[in-house]
Amino acid sequence: MTKRIFRSICFVALGIFLASVTLIMGALYDYFSNVQRGQLKMQTNLAAQAVANEGMEYFEGLDTNSYRITWIGTDGDVLYDSTTDSNEMENHLEREEIKEALSEGFGESSRYSVTLMERALYCAKRLPDGTVLRLSVSQNTLLTLILGMMQPICVIFVLAVILSLVLAYRLSKKILKPLNELNLDEPLKNDCYDELSPLLRRIDIQQRQIKQKSGELKQKQKEFKAVTENMVEGIILLNAKGNVISINRAAKRLFKTDKSCIGQHILSVNRSIEISDLLDKSERGLHAEKMMKLSGCIYQLSISPIISDDELYGAVLLALDVTEKENAEQMRREFTANVSHELKTPLHTIAGSAELLMNGVVKDSDRMDFYTRIHGETQRMIRLVEDIIRLSHLDEDSYDMKSEEIDLYTLADETLKALSSEAKNANVTMSLNGQSTVVQGIPQLLQSIIYNLCDNAIKYNHSGGTVTVTIKNHEDSVAVSVADTGIGISPEHQERIFERFYRVDKSRSKELGGTGLGLSIVKHAAKLHDAELSVNSALNKGTTITVTFPK
Amino acid sequence: MRNRFDEQLALLNQELIKMGSLCEEVIALASSALTKGDSKLAAKVAPLDREIDEKERSIEAICLRLLLQQQPVARDLRQISAALKMVTDMERIGDQAEDIAEIITSLNIRPQAEHTQISEMAKATIKMVTDSVDAYVKQDVKLAESVANYDDVVDDYFNEIKESLIDLIAKNPSNGEYALDLLMIAKYFERIGDHATNIAEWVLFSITGKKKV
Repeated sequence: MTKRIFRSICFVALGIFLASVTLIMGALYDYFSNVQRGQLKMQTNLAAQAVANEGMEYFEGLDTNSYRITWIGTDGDVLYDSTTDSNEMENHLEREEIKEALSEGFGESSRYSVTLMERALYCAKRLPDGTVLRLSVSQNTLLTLILGMMQPICVIFVLAVILSLVLAYRLSKKILKPLNELNLDEPLKNDCYDELSPLLRRIDIQQRQIKQKSGELKQKQKEFKAVTENMVEGIILLNAKGNVISINRAAKRLFKTDKSCIGQHILSVNRSIEISDLLDKSERGLHAEKMMKLSGCIYQLSISPIISDDELYGAVLLALDVTEKENAEQMRREFTANVSHELKTPLHTIAGSAELLMNGVVKDSDRMDFYTRIHGETQRMIRLVEDIIRLSHLDEDSYDMKSEEIDLYTLADETLKALSSEAKNANVTMSLNGQSTVVQGIPQLLQSIIYNLCDNAIKYNHSGGTVTVTIKNHEDSVAVSVADTGIGISPEHQERIFERFYRVDKSRSKELGGTGLGLSIVKHAAKLHDAELSVNSALNKGTTITVTFPK
Repeated sequence: MRNRFDEQLALLNQELIKMGSLCEEVIALASSALTKGDSKLAAKVAPLDREIDEKERSIEAICLRLLLQQQPVARDLRQISAALKMVTDMERIGDQAEDIAEIITSLNIRPQAEHTQISEMAKATIKMVTDSVDAYVKQDVKLAESVANYDDVVDDYFNEIKESLIDLIAKNPSNGEYALDLLMIAKYFERIGDHATNIAEWVLFSITGKKKV
């Protein structure tokens, strides 16, 4: 801009200079020629006077440096010429000024003199004797005028150029100074050219808009970050090349990385085959899911390509912790397998016995034995199915039995009475300690807790052993403990006895007619009452299982 | 021009990482096939090895194209030439894992004390391969140096296994063939360790420009 202004100022200055020089020269030329012509006229008159008086003598001793004097006779012959020999000159009668002078007494003209090769002014006057005296002067042409004034013009030109350069430089700087000093951060505070104010106002408006938009954007980003950072699921955003754009806290923890991975390729964060497969799929614009084991947990990775206008912009990688779900799934599968197995065994016995009876190969004396066996096995199946039904009810939390106040002591007493025949058969003595304690609970479930615990205590006891049920009323809890003096549970089994169908000693348990679900039911029932279970056991010394109900 | 070059280098990088992870996978598979005595797992090794071979070819093609078209110098040249050498070692790792798997399928696996030794050794070699690939991914000089040192651990394992296999034969000469198969497996693992060391050395070369003599 400075350059442009500088250049235009220079050009304008030079243009004006040249134009004025031309005009001045033209005017001067006009003026000079007029003056010259006037002088020539006067000289002609004077000379004519003199020649008329003195005749030829006048020419002798005449200094004719500045003029050319020609005297022409009436017939047109040259009588005298100051520069050329008069005898060699042609007849002048046809010359314009002569003709004019002959007819009107005075004539003038200007033309190029062929002989002198320059522009000449002519003035002619008719003398009283009929001859004509002509004076001529060579006129300066414009070019000669200019050439003559060349030196001063050059000096002036150089001076003008220098002056215009300096001025142009100064001026352009001065014009642009306020523009250069514009404060664009606060456009409205500038005190500048009026012509700029619409622009500045516009800038101000746009700046405010940008500020507002960026504020909104920041807010959105903050919200997005707040949401993703606190998610349990890992989220990684990838661009089309597979480089990480953003990664949330959970994903950082999961892939054991930090901020530095942003901008790097996802494979340099984790190069497992699962991820590279997922990446291949997303590059082809497909959604994909994979299970992946990472640091002991199972994660479900799913990738969704981000496609807009048929162009792939990147992908979102989501990692869900499905360890628990997978484990539950595993347990369910095992449970189904166990149930079918448990149901199949008694059925085999029943079917086998029935077949033998049917074929009549059983002796009459043994028949009773077979009937008993069939009956026993069906009873076991019924118990098993009942337990399974109860468990599935507990599982579904759809136990809509009403919670009511109940005395644990009475409940335990009733349960022990119900089990007295089993205890007698096993030669086990039972006792109940504590006092009447009322808790809030579901009677059927509380009963099944105590029943199952006592039943186990009798079954897994030594002959002559004891089962002691103690009900203790603490300040903020009620504890029911069932202690036996039986075979005990070794530590490695203690954790697992509450699992469905888990048995420490399979052969013994079958023999005793257990379903393998009793303690599972206890665990679930206790959970429904928010009660805690604890096991204290030593091999061959006995087991104490305590259920602690919160008050 | 440089942009395109960078893009191709990034592609080379990704392919190398993928090939590295295939190598890790293939050894882990061979090792767990051995400890579990599962020939089904061993059968999965061969297709993976083929995949590794394919990767080797595609990486070589990328390297050659880069060398021809871009005529790289200095660090870029080192990186590409190191990649060319690394894929050879990685491909050998894949082959050796396949050899191990082959022995496992023909072997009547019996639970032996030597198995735990070999699986320990396998763990050590997997760590070496993982570390060497990690060193490449993270351009980590220290990690690359540690891989080279870790090779001694694998060598010690090999010697231990050799001794216990000698005992096994001494106790019962009919164990001879079995013991020899196990020795082969151990030897393959030991070779894998050597290849991992090579990879680490090439990583060092591509970063520092110095090659161990």
